[in-house]
Amino acid sequence: MVFYQDDVDAINNVLNEFLKLSDSKCNILIDKEGHMVTKVGSTGDIDLQSVSALVAGSYAATREMARLLGEDEFSVLFHQGKNDSIQLTLVGERTILATVFDERTTIGMVRLYATEASEKLAKIFEVILTRPPGDNPELENYSQNAKGALDFFFVEE
Amino acid sequence: MVQINFSLKEVNCKVVYYGPGLSGKTTNLEVVHQKAPSASVGDLTSIATEGDRTLFFDFLPLDLGQVAGMKTKFQIYTVPGQVYYNSTRKLVVQGSDGVVFVADSKRGKMDENIESLGNLIENLKEYGMDISTTPVVLQYNKRDLPEIYTLEELNESLNKWGFPYFEAVARDGVGVFPTLKHLAGMVLESLNRQHGGGGSVAIRKPTRPAAVSASAQSVGATQTAVATAPRPQQQSTAVAATATAPPPPSRAPAPMAPAASAPPRVTSAPAVSQPQSASRASAQSSVARVASNESAGSEQKKGKGLLIVALVVLLGAAVAGAHFAGLLENLLP
Repeated sequence: MVFYQDDVDAINNVLNEFLKLSDSKCNILIDKEGHMVTKVGSTGDIDLQSVSALVAGSYAATREMARLLGEDEFSVLFHQGKNDSIQLTLVGERTILATVFDERTTIGMVRLYATEASEKLAKIFEVILTRPPGDNPELENYSQNAKGALDFFFVEE
Repeated sequence: MVQINFSLKEVNCKVVYYGPGLSGKTTNLEVVHQKAPSASVGDLTSIATEGDRTLFFDFLPLDLGQVAGMKTKFQIYTVPGQVYYNSTRKLVVQGSDGVVFVADSKRGKMDENIESLGNLIENLKEYGMDISTTPVVLQYNKRDLPEIYTLEELNESLNKWGFPYFEAVARDGVGVFPTLKHLAGMVLESLNRQHGGGGSVAIRKPTRPAAVSASAQSVGATQTAVATAPRPQQQSTAVAATATAPPPPSRAPAPMAPAASAPPRVTSAPAVSQPQSASRASAQSSVARVASNESAGSEQKKGKGLLIVALVVLLGAAVAGAHFAGLLENLLP
């Protein structure tokens, strides 16, 4: 998947609106491979890469459970903590919205506005996923340029 | 699937270590975690059983650094090797951009290697991937053991595609970096082929700016994205149509109600109310029909009654007339 600046701007607008309405702490959009797409709000010192991978794994496992139970998908997942909780909402076919919130708001508020946000984001993703692939001159000699970085990184002692 | 994010200036790739149980997949990851520059690797996350066997996956984020102005990252996973964890193995392999198959060189392990490789092929197929077109590197691990297969034997049984292969003793860190380095190079070459095709700048990003701008407006975005490239009329019109479609007239007024959530409410409202009002009307009309029937019956009865009364009066009058005529005959001479 390729995300351009305009794509992420449009996504962030929806996420910021959702952040304000739901009074959540932060919102992280993650693709099903576990890569973060974007985030808004205060993520503090959260290890976003690991959280993204675990969210994707958790969602994948839940989807498999749903299949075994005869459901297409469980579209919302909720993990309650002592201070912070996290809700995962499916966005379209390929992305997951992770919302971290605390006692300033309620699960009902988060769920209500997350449904709205998810529908708005799904429309944006539909455009992103169905448009024809564009050329990206930035990546023209990418693998050639990467050779130096690979040599530098994988140095055998 | 590679994610290229021009906003974050990042390229993210997913690499999976696959192979039979106890072949050394997690050990590979532990070595990468130990040997790579600490600033370039994140925490090694393991979802393992109490006996330290991988239950779901191990995960290690690795930051290769800047390549052509893009921060290049690899998310490295291992699958659980044990046969009965296939459902979780299948989930982990989803969307992978490259696979390291770690085979156990120890004699007697060939069947397990072959079974695991066959399982990889099946699981890739589930996601529409073909192993022959996927970046794959084989690692023949445990080369320090006394009783091992020769490279020829391993290649003959496991490598009919001619994938690059490396000998390794992962426990000692031997062969770990060369394996991953080679696969990373293959993944980035594949990315280059798919996304970096050197076309002309004129057709660059043909539909993106306008299409997403339209969506952004539809969701109430305050920021204006400027279309800088020509776009196919048909597609942008279609998107604009969905984006600016007016809300249905009978939409229930609800604060912050999403446009997209309105249709179910709209469609469900008449569906429920229509049968209700129809049955009510039919009930009213049937009541009216019954009432009109009753009134018609009572009028008929009334008419009959009047007729009887009239006949009785006429009969009485006739009898009285006859009696009166008799009296007159007796009185007159």
